Amino acid sequence: MFLKVSLILAAMVAAYVIANGPLKLSVELAMVFAAIVGAVASGNWLPLRHIAEGSSTYLDLALIFFTATLFMNVIKASGGLDLVVRGILSRFGDKRAVALILLMFVMLIPGALTGAGSVSVLVSGGAVAMALTYLGVSKDRITAMIFLLAGLAAVAPPVSVWAMLTCAGTAIPYVGFELPLGIPVLILGTFTVMWLGLRPTESMGDEAMALPEVGPEVSGWRTALPFVVVFSLIVASRVWPHSMPILGLPLIFLVGAIVAYALNFRKIDFFKLSSETVSQLLPLLATVISIGIVIQLMTLTGVRGLISYAVIAMPLWLVFTLLPITIPVSEGILGFGGAAVIGIPLIWMLNSVGLHPTVALSGLSLLWCLGDALPPTAIIGRLTCQTVGFEDNYSTFLKTCAVPWLAITVVGTLMVIFSRELSFLVRA
Amino acid sequence: MSRHVLAKLTTAIVMLAVLIIGGQELYAHRHYEEPVVLGPGVTRVERLSDYFEPLRGTMNDSVVYVLEGEEEGGKAFIFGGSHPGEVAGTLAAIVLVENAVVRQGTLYIVPHMNRSGSTGTQPSGGYPLYYHIDTAFGSRKFRMGDRVTHPLDQWPDPDVYIHYPSGQSLSYVEIRNSNRCWPGRPNGTLTEQTNYAAMELIRKHDVNIAVDFHEAELMYPVTNCIVAPSKSASIATMAAINLSIDFDIHTEPSPPGYRGLSHREIGDHSDAYPFLIEVPEPFLDQPTGPKTESLLLEGKDEILMRAGDKGLLFVEFDESGKPIELRVGRHLSTTMSLLEEWNNFSPDLQISIEAPDYYDLMDNGVGAFLRDPDTADPSMVVFD
Ligand SMILES: [Zn+2]
Repeated sequence: MFLKVSLILAAMVAAYVIANGPLKLSVELAMVFAAIVGAVASGNWLPLRHIAEGSSTYLDLALIFFTATLFMNVIKASGGLDLVVRGILSRFGDKRAVALILLMFVMLIPGALTGAGSVSVLVSGGAVAMALTYLGVSKDRITAMIFLLAGLAAVAPPVSVWAMLTCAGTAIPYVGFELPLGIPVLILGTFTVMWLGLRPTESMGDEAMALPEVGPEVSGWRTALPFVVVFSLIVASRVWPHSMPILGLPLIFLVGAIVAYALNFRKIDFFKLSSETVSQLLPLLATVISIGIVIQLMTLTGVRGLISYAVIAMPLWLVFTLLPITIPVSEGILGFGGAAVIGIPLIWMLNSVGLHPTVALSGLSLLWCLGDALPPTAIIGRLTCQTVGFEDNYSTFLKTCAVPWLAITVVGTLMVIFSRELSFLVRA
Repeated sequence: MSRHVLAKLTTAIVMLAVLIIGGQELYAHRHYEEPVVLGPGVTRVERLSDYFEPLRGTMNDSVVYVLEGEEEGGKAFIFGGSHPGEVAGTLAAIVLVENAVVRQGTLYIVPHMNRSGSTGTQPSGGYPLYYHIDTAFGSRKFRMGDRVTHPLDQWPDPDVYIHYPSGQSLSYVEIRNSNRCWPGRPNGTLTEQTNYAAMELIRKHDVNIAVDFHEAELMYPVTNCIVAPSKSASIATMAAINLSIDFDIHTEPSPPGYRGLSHREIGDHSDAYPFLIEVPEPFLDQPTGPKTESLLLEGKDEILMRAGDKGLLFVEFDESGKPIELRVGRHLSTTMSLLEEWNNFSPDLQISIEAPDYYDLMDNGVGAFLRDPDTADPSMVVFD
């Protein structure tokens, strides 16, 4: 069985290389193509049912991407972002460190509440990018900062998506994660904004001067209210979980978009804006749908099981040494599937050698969030480039991330290795 | 039309065709009804909606088989399919319905506790849609299921699931996990309402013991065991000791701080003594070969065996695998051993049954204890 599954994996890799190279298919189509080749090679012919079923895996995520972006696009079109940027800068523009820390929280909160780094990028990314431009931070650094903060936001409590997904699969209760996740996120977030933002790399202020004038019809409350509505709905579902109907994030963002649309006095063509949002998000939506199909076909052929085995079968010292690579790369290849394919067996393995699962899982979460910048999927990395308007080479963006990336890697890996010693962070 | 538009259009049409053709198989699976032949012990057939009306007509209006003895005695609520992908639980419940005879006391049996979850498989899971058990008269076909309630029946999920009534936060997917939604509530989600109906059954009939059939990964420390809260612990321990002559089994305490599980909440919210039985199902493990029907039923896997060689598994695992007759047999013998201990513990509320046990299953297979729905009296066949 080993040999057969390994050959299928080899066929998939070859098919991907050919599809993405000579055949010039996009990353998404090439991945699906490779997975189908794997399925055919394993004797499953054309498993249409599996393709259909797999494509629905991340439907919710796709809906959140769309509705959150639509929400932000309405705000943007109504001039609200200009106002937010002016607000932050007029008050704290001269206290650089304070402004940076404030901007960090603006980035961290949406992702911490929803568990989705993408929501941080989509909700706060645009405004924060503008503010950073005004502060004289160059575009590559802005892109790096927004990506890294969005990743840390997804890791931050109360909702940490990788920890929760792994907990769900391992029957470890999702409790006691506040400090093991919160403390490193705050330290690493502060380090990231200071490292990348404290020293101006461009001339300051020009861009903001060039901002369109904020007309009198764009008032503070009119910009704030849609955000207030969205956050109130999220918070209300936490405070009164058993009396509030479950709206789900897609509907919450849609309500926010409608409120923003109803409040603004500028003429917005809602239909046109919606269809523009779809075109803007098409590559991302294609990615999440393709990953679902790919994971399903990889499970069907046994390739997923083989990869999962390869990760846990190594000697412990090698597992630790390779964590900074295996964890982010699994996220880069499988999207959130990485938590299931590798996270679940890995946590059981670490648990069985006496490490503390809660702290170890917190450390792994820090590593997972980095993977969202890695190809082939690079979901959040690409979303950030798109939101910020970073058009330079993608590798330039990755290089700019290097030092904070390293810091996050070191902290995450050490948290796994020394999870037992750090278990005092977990309050029962 | 430009080449670009043409390519987009072609992709869209191909994808639509895939969704329609592939979707038909999923539709057929969701609406496939398993025949169950009423055995000699069944005296009544009820539904969960008899205990909580709003469930009527929903996907989770599961069938409750009642087996009443001639003599009155204690009452047991036995259920499988809380996690519909853990098929030995459902099969063990069906084998009881089709074979068990009750001498004293009453059994309430629900093979599909979360029926909705059995009407779809896990997206990205690559599961087979059905599994077939060979019998002397041909094969019996059953639905393979997901771990959680089907999203078509309960959607959307919140961004975090907050358990009722404890307020403990769990991953959003757990809001559709039947075994994180105990004790349920009347105005909650479909999953919570389903569990509430079961709690109503337990409370209305003063059920004495509740047994929840599960299967677990071999990499999961809690397998080959009976999970019990402190009130049920002595019964569980005695049962495990008696069973340890037949197979490897131990008891696990139900952690007081981990809420929403049957072995915790049923005991806390009723007078019943809850037990949850785990048997090993290699199909559920991550490091396995293809997720095929034979992996599900024979439970043999080379990749998982290698993981076992490296000491990563919590149960012994070799070429003989963990076949379905072993898993179903373990559930049956463990249940009977629990009933025996219950009888010692509470002599005035005896529950005495006759049913196939571990050795019967190991010698004859599951198929030997399934009846032929085609030759049975149609009034004795229930579609579930
Ligand atoms: Zn289970």
